[in-house]
Amino acid sequence: MRFKTDLKNIRTFSKLTAALNSLEKIAWVRLDDDTVRFTVIPDTGSQVWASLSVDLIFDNYHLQSAEANNTINLELPLGPLQRALKSAANSNHANLRLTKRDGIPMLSMTIHTITKEAAGGGGRSSTYDPDDPFAAETSDIFQQESLELTMKREREKVITQDIPVRVLHPDTVETIMQPKVREPDVHIQLPPLLQLKAISDRFTKLALTAAASASAGRSGGAANANPKLELSANMHGSLRLRLVTDTLDITSVWDGLDNPELDPSQLAVPLDEHPSTRFRLAGADKWATVRVDGKDWSRVLSVGRLEGRVIACFSDDHALILYVYVPHYDDASGEDCVTYYVSSYSS
Amino acid sequence: MDSSLLQVWHAASGSPFVPTVGKDSQFLVGFVLVVLGFLLTGTFALNRTIINLPVLGIPASLALAIGVVYMFCGVGVYKKERAESRRTTTPISPPLFRAVASSTRPLYQLLKSISFTNKLHVEITESGLRFAADHARVMQGVAHWNKNLFTSYTTNFPSPPPARDGSNSDSDDADEESPTPTFQISLPAFLETLQIFGAADAAARQAKADVDPYRSNLRNYRPDAFSHQTLGMSGTCSLSYEEEGGHFSIVLEEAGVKTTCNLTTYLPEAPEDIPFDIEDLSFKIITQARWLLDALAEIAPTSPEKLTIVASRKEPYLRLTSAGGSLGSSSVDFAKGRDLLETFSVKERWIQTFKFDVIKSATEAMRIASKVSLRGDRQGVLSMQFMVEVEGTGLSFLDFRFVPYAEHEDDDDEDENDERGEGGGDRDENGMFD
Repeated sequence: MRFKTDLKNIRTFSKLTAALNSLEKIAWVRLDDDTVRFTVIPDTGSQVWASLSVDLIFDNYHLQSAEANNTINLELPLGPLQRALKSAANSNHANLRLTKRDGIPMLSMTIHTITKEAAGGGGRSSTYDPDDPFAAETSDIFQQESLELTMKREREKVITQDIPVRVLHPDTVETIMQPKVREPDVHIQLPPLLQLKAISDRFTKLALTAAASASAGRSGGAANANPKLELSANMHGSLRLRLVTDTLDITSVWDGLDNPELDPSQLAVPLDEHPSTRFRLAGADKWATVRVDGKDWSRVLSVGRLEGRVIACFSDDHALILYVYVPHYDDASGEDCVTYYVSSYSS
Repeated sequence: MDSSLLQVWHAASGSPFVPTVGKDSQFLVGFVLVVLGFLLTGTFALNRTIINLPVLGIPASLALAIGVVYMFCGVGVYKKERAESRRTTTPISPPLFRAVASSTRPLYQLLKSISFTNKLHVEITESGLRFAADHARVMQGVAHWNKNLFTSYTTNFPSPPPARDGSNSDSDDADEESPTPTFQISLPAFLETLQIFGAADAAARQAKADVDPYRSNLRNYRPDAFSHQTLGMSGTCSLSYEEEGGHFSIVLEEAGVKTTCNLTTYLPEAPEDIPFDIEDLSFKIITQARWLLDALAEIAPTSPEKLTIVASRKEPYLRLTSAGGSLGSSSVDFAKGRDLLETFSVKERWIQTFKFDVIKSATEAMRIASKVSLRGDRQGVLSMQFMVEVEGTGLSFLDFRFVPYAEHEDDDDEDENDERGEGGGDRDENGMFD
């Protein structure tokens, strides 16, 4: 079992890791020849299945295992990975490999950073620098010239970050299945997620203040700690976020959003029989609604930092699926998609 | 819907269109005319003479033409008219109150300073909105939204229906004979809603800061040249109150999002003000609000329970003393009165003790205000009036009134020098606040 790769697009990788980490601390990572898959399944809340092509985040990718397609399954703590990626963010070069240290499997990230710093004063540089282990060797061979003293010296800094992982047996991951959801009633392209998140967060706060004031009045009434937001969309380009409490009824509506066309060849049923066609024909007043947990929804929306295109698929009163398409900066090919499964709460 | 169209719609409601032939009889009239037209045409065809032309021919064509039009009206428009007429049976009256603002920031700031309770008492007047918050009847804060904070401000109060409104808003506005709408709403909900305005913009700025670390270090707080505000795409915030007992609604439109918030309104419960006798002042001091804030910040760390305010003609002119804290007490003197106090007139020595937390609730107002006028009346009620300079729209005022602790031993007079500041010159009227 061997895995060694260089990292690229570290910023994107880091943002993705941060988004996943907000939902759950441990991820299941499946590596094979073509794709890297990150799966996060929290106890409560939304599941994430991220499937990225290897080229998006890895370079010089070497993978070898006894399984078909050289598959390796790892259980990976996201917090240490996020920290490691953070320190790699401004590096020149970083790589990642699977090693074993003291019998524990580790993902070891080696980060090379060139730091530029001014050399010391003129007087010091002419003599040996006792702190510099290379000074003795170099100065014997190359006599330093005075001009170099004012130049900036580059130093390479190497950081190694070890992330403890668990290698999973293929049998254990076989039982984890991607959720099956019926054909969506409404699919719509969401507005910029950060905007949506800002407003959703305000709604959640509103629900909390309303609950707090209500429970203060009732003195010890069970405050609703997990406010539910009502999210609806129709096939005529509108998305609606709604919250109803005792004190208020607030609704935010986005109009003029895009309902992407479905590709008939990808569908299990003919396009005419697809639920979305029914919703489209039923007019702009036909809404597909899901009720999401405010805090969980806010965490889901933190993926907005990836700045990808997001398609939301609503199954009325059942579930919400978000497809976040990870933007490519170098080439537009590739189907890198982070899929969020958000289940709906009953009212 | 386009708002101008909506206005035309509202304007037209005053002068409805009345057809010469009633909607119900249009079919009958049209049918009769068409049949008549056919008959006349037949007769004319049998006997075509010059004389028959004006007698039969022209009436026939007229009857056909008009009859067909009425048939169209009677049959084609029939269904629609039905729906229309049902809608117009409930007369569209203009909303009681409607105002539009392009920024909620000053509105939010003014309201935030009285956010020490859950329920906010709202009164809509011709000149602006008046918000009153009340804490256990010992503290009252009043904020005004002057109408010039809004780009448009219209009120439509029903002219004088005293019989109907008398039961609703019983004795709250005794000074005014024409009833103004009053109600209560949830203050935290109102404040949060106002903050939704601009939330998207702030999020966009935050995102930009993530990308550009230089900006995040240095100028995150500065106005951005590309924010919606600066580009003049700031959107609108409109407030409306349709009818008495209805929702107080806030509509925020910004950057493609339209947020509608209907706040449930409650009947006003305790609307009368804390009595403050402006004719019988003991002292009046005007100073910078900032200095009062500094003084309170100085006292606050000892977490006192009570705050005693002394105003006297001699030094220390104005003294704030804390007491009852676990860490001891402290006091702040405004001894250099000439430099610190802008207006200073003390009729008599005035000593009153207040609950510190109550005074502390006014710190938000001290933060945003430029000047404060401290006044105390002979009953011991303290009034703080804050002047807030709102950018571009002039001045706004915030009013706070505080009821002091009742003093039972009534031994001293105001002229006597009591250095502890206890049992000052208050009278038995204080008993009424027990």
